[in-house]
Amino acid sequence: MEFLAYMGDVFTPINFGLLLIGTIGGLILGATPGLSPTMAVALLIPFTFRLEPAQGLILLGAAYTSTVAGGAVSAILLKIPGAPANIATTLDGHTMAQKGQGARALQLSFLASAVGGVFGVLLLIFLTPVLAQWALAFGPSHLFWLAILGVTIIGSLDSSSVVKGLLSGCIGLWLATIGFDDIMGAQRFIFHDAVAGGINVIPALIGLFAIPQVITMFAKGRKRLDAEVIAVEKHPIGQAVGEVFRRKRALSIGTITGSIIGLIPGVGGQIAGLVAYDQTKKTSPEREKFGTGHSEGVIAAESANNAMVGPSLVPLLTLSIPGSPTAAVLLGGLLIHGIFPGSDLFDNYPDVAWTFINSMLIGQILMCIFGLYVAGLAARVAQVPNAVMAAVVLGLALFGSYSVQNSMGDVYVMMALGTGMYFLERFGFSAAPLVLGLILGPIAEANFIQGSMIANATSSMGEYFFSGTLNLVLIGIVVASIGYSLWMELRDKRYTTKDDAVLKEESLS
Amino acid sequence: MTELPRTQHIIASGLVAAVGIAVAYISYTQEPAEAFLFPRLISTVFVVLALWTFGKAVLGRTKVGNGLSRDAITNILPGLIVALIYIFWAAKALGFYTASTITFFILLSLYDPAPHGEARTWIKRALITAGFLAVMYGLFAQLLTVFTPKEILF
Amino acid sequence: MKKLLAAASIALMALTGGAFADGHASYPERPVMLMVSYGAGGATDFQARIVTMTAGNEDALGMPIAIINKPGAGGRVGWNWFATQADADGYTLGAYNVPHFIAQSIEGGVEYSTENFEPIANWGADPAVFVVAADSEFNSMEDVVNYAKENPGKLTFSGAGLFVGHHIAALQLEKAAGVKLAYIPNNKGGAGAMKAVIAGEVLGGVNNLSDAFRAREAGNVKILGVFDLERNEFLEDVPTMKEQGFDIDNASVNFRGVMVPKGTPQGIIDKLAETVPAMFENARVAKRMKAGGSPMHIMTRDEVLEMWKAREETLKELLAGL
Repeated sequence: MEFLAYMGDVFTPINFGLLLIGTIGGLILGATPGLSPTMAVALLIPFTFRLEPAQGLILLGAAYTSTVAGGAVSAILLKIPGAPANIATTLDGHTMAQKGQGARALQLSFLASAVGGVFGVLLLIFLTPVLAQWALAFGPSHLFWLAILGVTIIGSLDSSSVVKGLLSGCIGLWLATIGFDDIMGAQRFIFHDAVAGGINVIPALIGLFAIPQVITMFAKGRKRLDAEVIAVEKHPIGQAVGEVFRRKRALSIGTITGSIIGLIPGVGGQIAGLVAYDQTKKTSPEREKFGTGHSEGVIAAESANNAMVGPSLVPLLTLSIPGSPTAAVLLGGLLIHGIFPGSDLFDNYPDVAWTFINSMLIGQILMCIFGLYVAGLAARVAQVPNAVMAAVVLGLALFGSYSVQNSMGDVYVMMALGTGMYFLERFGFSAAPLVLGLILGPIAEANFIQGSMIANATSSMGEYFFSGTLNLVLIGIVVASIGYSLWMELRDKRYTTKDDAVLKEESLS
Repeated sequence: MTELPRTQHIIASGLVAAVGIAVAYISYTQEPAEAFLFPRLISTVFVVLALWTFGKAVLGRTKVGNGLSRDAITNILPGLIVALIYIFWAAKALGFYTASTITFFILLSLYDPAPHGEARTWIKRALITAGFLAVMYGLFAQLLTVFTPKEILF
Repeated sequence: MKKLLAAASIALMALTGGAFADGHASYPERPVMLMVSYGAGGATDFQARIVTMTAGNEDALGMPIAIINKPGAGGRVGWNWFATQADADGYTLGAYNVPHFIAQSIEGGVEYSTENFEPIANWGADPAVFVVAADSEFNSMEDVVNYAKENPGKLTFSGAGLFVGHHIAALQLEKAAGVKLAYIPNNKGGAGAMKAVIAGEVLGGVNNLSDAFRAREAGNVKILGVFDLERNEFLEDVPTMKEQGFDIDNASVNFRGVMVPKGTPQGIIDKLAETVPAMFENARVAKRMKAGGSPMHIMTRDEVLEMWKAREETLKELLAGL
């Protein structure tokens, strides 16, 4: 209960002021396409030079928490996921916004984020030593199997056809291999200067989700617009609170999956939302409603991606190993003040450590309050005429993808992928599995190569990849996951007929 | 349904299959072999799935995806051409803010349903454009200090 | 008419760049960009942010420096961009890591070499060290080498990638001790390589002195030796490789500094070469660097030119056997 002793420090005027600035700033930065939480936190580092260590960390911690949640705003309203963490949110969230339920989607997403986030930080507070061992348990062979497990969810994600889902995933895996090979340094598939540095995930995300959106708006043409005025439904907050807690399955699966996956160094944050979405979908009796604006989808995805925030800092705070790029930036924020994370942090600077952790707890709640406040206003974005919306999203896509690393190459990749994706979508391919392939490809490949190098030096490949409890458990889940999909396919005829697909698309557009 | 989607499906899945075969060919011929181990694996799966999809399209058994109607194509073309010129040429050549202003205004004029004949429509469009640019400039140039290419004006 | 022409030509000069006329005296007139070829949060990025924090002061450049990250493939992505696409106008600086970029240019497949870059100044030198997990049975480099002799090719140890400082150190160790080792490059840089050591995935690892120092403070690793000519002030108790009987010099020490692309006007290079080392010497910078456990080593443009040349020769020799 040591953390309670330092709770008061969060509420001194300066600290609380910084917490507010960090939270509101984080929400704005998070809602800006192209600014991932990592970049947002890195941008704030210079401001912490002049602050006390605890104050600087409050600012960074609050910004981290709220950028992750803020990404849901553009994911829901514009269908541009701010970061990989928000991909799953677009699947049901944006559909809800199109139906005029943007306010409901945003309220659900902020409430679920807060529940997941608070749970994640509480895990960080109470179980840090246990979790630290867990985070270290994942070696190359386990991370490889974990990536393969991620691949198995590709087929069942937002696609009416398993084959096309898997094919989209393959295209993503291939795109991920473009550029320099991470370990050998060999050049692969560099057919144009713009991809010489590989395909950066953030511009790719913007292109794959936002550009098809823009072209779809073009497709509606000039005349049909008068007919389509979306009525934005008001949605009382009380009702949203009730709904979040009624959806216990989605909320608990999201929170628990997010916490566990978030802990794993190097994989966590990016796929927590997608895995939770997939698991919730598989266990839900209303699984056919997923993708059509179903509240469970939003709740699972958002509770997972904020639940991962707390545990993702465990390896950093206990072992001084940054488990994610964002944690690496936070490490920088600590180092400039001469504080080394690890036992040193909790022994010699408990005020800094606990004030930081407490501020993330309070930050989650502040984020939720501000988020709910803006939800009603932001939902009106759905009423913006199509022509304006298309132009705004196109402009944001340009600026957002350029700002990631000041590169025109990224902008060209964004537009090329986006235009291609629009046409692929018209023929039954979808963006979410493609992006998942893009994210998981490098993880699977690098860990496979490292694992096989270690295996060749010590034992055999078979022994290294197929023995040990954790390996076997992961392989078991992979097999079960594939088996489940096959079984569902035989039983339910997962292939929707063409007429169903037409109906579904009509209801969406 | 009509024949149009079927032909389109054949073309689309054929293109995907062609990309897959090209990727597989490069993966199996390029050196160093260690660096292409993983690409070989995925390109094999890629080709198998792509050929399956292509086969189904040829047989007319494709079940998802509606293709593009003639109406949709005529609606998309002007906007898409403007967007492509904007991203691939104007943004760099004219400067981000200049290009965005012009593109934004053209897109509004192309797709905004308000009558072209009235002065009010044009004032409204100009105001929306100015407002959008002000927000973008404030956010990216001032708040985030992103150095965008500045060729003409800004 | 003459007056008009004169006025027009003056206006034209002012437009096309008064810089040509006044010898770059007014440089820099707008904020400057510094390209870092590693991700945000990495050691190079972190140090670059600290050493450039006083750039906006009147006695330094008088304009802030913004960090742009272009990570990927051990730095190749960023340096390729810097050599081929960066504007040589003095407003695009780059951070270099030696021996990384030199080793990569010798290995081939990249579009840069020392010929494409003009160094400005060096800010830091981070030696590589050999680390093992805190509960490891190895207590000295001798234990490590003995194990490797008994189990040739089975001593697994991690490092931040191929053709970076850690890999050079690994090659030097193999050569000096006359043993065969299993070097496992990590795709997540020094942090990933360190995690592999602490988690027991590998028996040991080569890592940055600053990161290893932190990990030892946290009680997670033992540091067995420094790949440098002298002991380091952060780790007075750790012997060098030479002291332990291995003939290893400082070829793997990771030098970090600032450079510009070839073709940048000489006037700007001279101005930067004069102001940047002074900027690094700022007391606030030194305090922050020390607090972060990052060893500083300031060198002027001439010293860096010499160091690059010497390093290129050593590395060509070392990598010739691969």
